[in-house]
Amino acid sequence: MGKPSDLVQGTLDLLILRTLRPEAMHGWAIAKRIQQISDEVLQVQQGSLYPALHRIEQQGWIKAKWQESETGRQAKFYALTAAGRKQLEAETANWNRLSAAINLVVREAS
Amino acid sequence: MRLWDRWKMAFRALFARGVADARLDDELGFHLEQQIAENIAAGMSAEEARYAALRSFGNPALLREQSRSTWSWGGIEAFIHDARFVSLSIGRRPGFAFTVVGTLALGIGAAAAMFTVVDHVLLRPVPYLDADRLVTIQETDGSTRNWEAPWIDIDQWRVQSRSFSQIEFSGKMSGRNFLEGPDAALEVSGQRVSPGLFGMLGVAPALGSGFVSEFGKNAGAIMLSDTVWKEVFAGDRRILGKAVKINNDSYTVAGVMPPGFRYPAGISLVPQVWVPIELSSDERTRDTDKAMQFTAIARLRPGLNVEQARAEMLLVQKRLAAQYANDVLRHDHASLHVEIYAETLVGKDVRNALLALLAASGVLWLIASLNATNLFLARNTSQQRESAMRMALGASRWRLMQQTLVEGLILSGLAVLLGVGLAMASVRFLAHELSQTLPVPAPATLDEWVLLALAGLTVLTTLVATAGPALLAACTLVAPAIKQGGMQTGSSRRQNRMRGALVAGEIALSLTLIATCGLLLRTIYTLHHVPLGFRTDHIVVAHLSIPSYRFKGRNMTDSLYMPLLDRVQHLHGVESAGLMSEAPLAKTFVLHLELAMNGKTTHAYLKAVTPDLQKIFGFHMAAGRFFLPQDTAISQPVIVVNMAYARQHSPDPHNPLAILGYKLLSLIKGGPQMTIIGVIDDERQDKVAEPAVPEVELALPQITPESGFYQPVETVAMDLALRTDQPMAAIVPELRTVLKQASPELQNATITTMDQIVEDSYGSQRLAAHLLEIFGASALVLCMAGLYGLLAYVVSQRTRELGVRIALGASRGNLLWMVIRQAGVMLLAGLVIGAGLSFASGKLVARFLYGVSVHDGWTMVAAPALLVATGLLAAYLPARRAANTDPMEALRAE
Repeated sequence: MGKPSDLVQGTLDLLILRTLRPEAMHGWAIAKRIQQISDEVLQVQQGSLYPALHRIEQQGWIKAKWQESETGRQAKFYALTAAGRKQLEAETANWNRLSAAINLVVREAS
Repeated sequence: MRLWDRWKMAFRALFARGVADARLDDELGFHLEQQIAENIAAGMSAEEARYAALRSFGNPALLREQSRSTWSWGGIEAFIHDARFVSLSIGRRPGFAFTVVGTLALGIGAAAAMFTVVDHVLLRPVPYLDADRLVTIQETDGSTRNWEAPWIDIDQWRVQSRSFSQIEFSGKMSGRNFLEGPDAALEVSGQRVSPGLFGMLGVAPALGSGFVSEFGKNAGAIMLSDTVWKEVFAGDRRILGKAVKINNDSYTVAGVMPPGFRYPAGISLVPQVWVPIELSSDERTRDTDKAMQFTAIARLRPGLNVEQARAEMLLVQKRLAAQYANDVLRHDHASLHVEIYAETLVGKDVRNALLALLAASGVLWLIASLNATNLFLARNTSQQRESAMRMALGASRWRLMQQTLVEGLILSGLAVLLGVGLAMASVRFLAHELSQTLPVPAPATLDEWVLLALAGLTVLTTLVATAGPALLAACTLVAPAIKQGGMQTGSSRRQNRMRGALVAGEIALSLTLIATCGLLLRTIYTLHHVPLGFRTDHIVVAHLSIPSYRFKGRNMTDSLYMPLLDRVQHLHGVESAGLMSEAPLAKTFVLHLELAMNGKTTHAYLKAVTPDLQKIFGFHMAAGRFFLPQDTAISQPVIVVNMAYARQHSPDPHNPLAILGYKLLSLIKGGPQMTIIGVIDDERQDKVAEPAVPEVELALPQITPESGFYQPVETVAMDLALRTDQPMAAIVPELRTVLKQASPELQNATITTMDQIVEDSYGSQRLAAHLLEIFGASALVLCMAGLYGLLAYVVSQRTRELGVRIALGASRGNLLWMVIRQAGVMLLAGLVIGAGLSFASGKLVARFLYGVSVHDGWTMVAAPALLVATGLLAAYLPARRAANTDPMEALRAE
């Protein structure tokens, strides 16, 4: 069970941006979605999630809005911005390149 | 995100932080709720679900902090938070804050005061435009003697030289000048200036248009200084175009210069007025009897420096000198001195003195900062547990450091405010002494440079005083600090050693200051005991500037001087009174005599005196007699010389007194030569530290208007001396009444005592000694406080241990010795380092010493002894407390 705090900070940003691409969500939903899609491998703790969310918000890649959630309570929903989409593409490309390179090395070594 | 949204966020983060906080809480709360709901759905009971959720959530406070740290303005928020906390803690423990602020204020005040003076005197002594591009040009024979130049030379410089964009010149109006005012005449310093001079200086008149920049267009005009305008004419704006009288000559006011403007700059408190130079055809000659001589001041062309200008001008001058009439003159005018004007105002020894004092104030500042560091260290140690708790709760090390730094910054800021107040007060307090030595009046206000320096000083002080302790606080190990019980084992040995080292450092620096102060005090002491050659007690001296224009056509000896002397002698309480051109060491008025005797040209001082001076000053005649009342205008003309003169000019080189009876000079051209009737034993004339210069004295009653000496001797200045047992407060008003009777201008004469004149003549040494006394005393106090603080702390830390020792059988003496020994180690270390530093600094001040060697034994023993005594005094109370520890109390206390 790897904790995303082991990952580089930028990777968590990438996960968040990707998760928000289809629709706007609140923090809890983002964590759950990541957990779900990664087959329970990646479990994002609140201690990493919220600082990351607020940092990304400061940088202008996501925008926040308070809305009524599915439970009826007010929650803060985050949505991707245009700049965020661009950033997502860039980071995805980066990640693909990086992971391909790592794969090469790992396959070589073994 | 669009710029607008960004600004909105930043705005909200700054001003609506409370709202943002609440929102963050809501967000986290929502997350928690969802987690709880999930846990319940997974099958846990409500309570279990809640606990599990909280556990997985982690530290909510930390979470909140981390999220908030991503918001902008985090730095300012932390600063404000710290500042509030600091003010709370100051309120709770004012003693600590007072001590720190007081300590730092001493150091900062000293440094600020010295820097203000240095900035005013050395960095910006003259209020002209681009003053560092202005140079003076003086003709010289290549040695240190120099002269003013005639117009014809200056004109040649203007034509031939390429180094200057403008050359202007000025000279002094002859004699003493008096401006007639409504009540009485005010003495002013009258300056003749070329019409373009003020323009070159870059200063425009505050009132009026000033002089027209061409020769010949300013007939009868005059410019007043702001002081004259305010004092005599009460700042009347209708002064323009009105007529004013200087020495009975009428001038029309063309303008008033701004306040604070002086030209020439230099030591003088007499207010100035300026008249334009009008050149007549008489001026176009090199004959010094016919043409006025001027001081030239020029502005360097952009891109040139002084050396280049000097090199070029030397070539020009070579060609020019050839035009002089004879060989002597050609030699005398062969070379030039070209120097930056501002640098000529401050003598080299004054500059060095100021810089040395600045360094000394820096040392004091360092001592104060070290003291503050010690205080912070002590305080932080007692707060160790609190710091450990904060770190356990999640504070970062940097955050802990921040708090100490902010506290240091605030306290330093307060100390700067207090220190500046101290500095201004002390500058005012020492204004008289400063004005004796410095060419510009002592500053009373701050300016940008000084404020900048102060800001820098604040930051620097903070860093020095708090960086160390802050780092230490941040590096405390959490577990041991929380585990330990109470304050008893508060600080580690390492910390105590560090504090001890700081105290030793303070002691070393203080020793340097005190030793240097001691050397200077010894110098003053030696100067005090140089035999002056005359008495100085109970002598009142009045410096008279003579309004000779009132006595035109009359014999001032008979109409002014003798009647004045007579009246003064009849004042109540006056034993004897006399007149002389200049009181010894007074530096008010010096006459130079050039003599051609035995084929050589020599120089001597010339003075006119009255006979009673011997009764007043009690000087000793080496041979012959002094003047007597019988030496009048109709008796044989006589002259008195001093030993220095006799040694130089005696016909018999082995017996200076053989000069007695020789003839020298004549009072009136073509008249009988004067006979040397007496030789005075040498006196100090200019400076106590310098040996006597050849001097020649004439009897004032013998000088008549026909004499060539009449004009220089009688029409400019005279000192009146009287021996009295009355106190100053009683004699001065009566004296002023008598002076006023003689001539109204004389009532404002400066009246002082001979003792004061001697004191003032010590100049920069006395100033330096006084300042170092203050610095040294402050350093001593700081050291004592530092040592006491550390020892008291250590003793209070070890109360338990001391109790155990006593219980185990140690005697009180043992405990006393323990503390004293600790103090002794620090003192010894400090003294050893300090001795090395003092040797080094002694070399720096060697030039100020007189009659005292750098390794003066007396000082080398007294200074350390003083420190040791102070140290032991500081250690006494803690030692006594240690010795009187009640073992039962100590062991019980916890």
